[in-house]
Amino acid sequence: MFEFLIAGVQAPWVLLVFTGFTVGIVGGFIGVGGGYMVTPALIVFGFPGYMASGIDMTHIAGKGIVSTVRHRQLGNVDWILALSMVAGTMFGVEEGIRLLGYFKRLGLSTAALLGASVLLMGTLFVYTLRETLRSHRRLTEMAKQGRALAREVSTSSLPRVFQGLPLAPLVRCRVARVIVSMWVIVLVGVVTGVLAGFLGVGGGFIRVPALVYIVGASTHIAVGTDLVEIVFSGAYGCLRHSIEGNVDFVAVLFMLSGAMFGAQFGSIATAFVRGPAIRYMLAFSLALATLGAGLPLVNLLMGGKLEWLTALSVIITLGQMVFLCLFILSLVYFAYRANRGRWVPDWAAPLLVHHVTTGP
Amino acid sequence: MHREFRIRALVKFLFWAVATTVVVAYAINTYRSGQMVRWYYYESKADGYAVNATSFQQATRESPVALIIGDFPDVSGLRAVRVTKGSRLPEGTNGVIDLATVKKADRVRIEDGRLVVAVPWEIKEAKGFKFRDGFTHKNIRTNPFSGLWNLVMVGLVGLCLGFLAEGFTDVIGLKFRKIDHSVGH
Repeated sequence: MFEFLIAGVQAPWVLLVFTGFTVGIVGGFIGVGGGYMVTPALIVFGFPGYMASGIDMTHIAGKGIVSTVRHRQLGNVDWILALSMVAGTMFGVEEGIRLLGYFKRLGLSTAALLGASVLLMGTLFVYTLRETLRSHRRLTEMAKQGRALAREVSTSSLPRVFQGLPLAPLVRCRVARVIVSMWVIVLVGVVTGVLAGFLGVGGGFIRVPALVYIVGASTHIAVGTDLVEIVFSGAYGCLRHSIEGNVDFVAVLFMLSGAMFGAQFGSIATAFVRGPAIRYMLAFSLALATLGAGLPLVNLLMGGKLEWLTALSVIITLGQMVFLCLFILSLVYFAYRANRGRWVPDWAAPLLVHHVTTGP
Repeated sequence: MHREFRIRALVKFLFWAVATTVVVAYAINTYRSGQMVRWYYYESKADGYAVNATSFQQATRESPVALIIGDFPDVSGLRAVRVTKGSRLPEGTNGVIDLATVKKADRVRIEDGRLVVAVPWEIKEAKGFKFRDGFTHKNIRTNPFSGLWNLVMVGLVGLCLGFLAEGFTDVIGLKFRKIDHSVGH
């Protein structure tokens, strides 16, 4: 146990390091901040709710930088796309917070928040999973035909619709290999920002699918670019929370020390897989997050008679960190085996990439 | 070529290792010297009593805890110091009980010149999770500089750790290729 003088609590520092590590793996791999998992974990460790949010947001800013540095090395960051979105995202986050305030004044904040979370994440989960399953099948067919497999396979026709909008100015994103109207990028930033501000999350959950299915970036670039956004929104959140007195910097340091290893592993792991593997992971985390918000909603609609559903949602929210990490670890392990010519499951083989590193 | 790369990688790793050590050591020193805590519990946001809320966590309605009110240089133990909005907080303060709460006389009341605490915390909820919400952190204002300090430090720590890890993988001979983002349909 460590006594956090600013937070005014005694909490197990090992668990903070472990939380930073696991959320770092997931965040580096699917490009999310992981706030929906960390805040509840910190509350369970004994931190008050407002402190948990502040510590979480500050650690997300630092972890975002660690992941971005590695994704930059892997060529997964499109700076033009990222910087074009920043202003829209910030504006959207502020509007989302105001929208939440409006619902609070109406006395509907909890129901509106949980309802919106379930609806949005549930829809994204269904769309992402269906599209990823189609892409996975396409990869399997290509492998059977002996064709060279691309790093990314996408079967969604939505990006073509948005890229075809003739609204000036058009932006050429060289790394993402996309030419798209600036208005589409700004709109993606604003809409995902509003949702992030309203739901009280970093927004990676929503922005990564939006970058893939609306802008048309590959999944790897969506992850790397989204992490740049997370650095900006995390930095803004860090400043706001710090001034409000919601941050214990020592707790942030403990989490960052774990996140350093986790975020590295998660970021590097993207080099071993094709786009659909990352989207699978995104879909699973969306499913678990939908469940995590859906169970308390059912309890709320039943007039609070099913308290055990809320307890179950806590277990699911905390358990998903471990589940997602194990899944990512298994993919890297399979890639390692495939690289050495050993057996890997049929479903995994088309999702993996060999020979990703090189010597000097 | 190989040797040149290794030397560059080693220099990069050592540079970021030193930078990380300096930044983390500075952060730890700021914490251990008490500076970080002083920045945090900086001044009062309301008229009331500066207290150390940890000292009366066990108080209940049946057995309330009484704090001595006085003009002490610190509030360690069962002490309370009268403060006004904007005044600097005495050493050891981790919360301010505002006058409105005292006047209500439900959770806290004045009795025989002492501050009597009967309900030190309440159960509150955030994001569907319940937690104990006490007087800790209440009505205190942090030094605005500490917000900027946190932001700069988290940025520096993130950068140092990121490049340190990159330097480390370079040193052990793992140079990651840039990913070819070709798309198949």
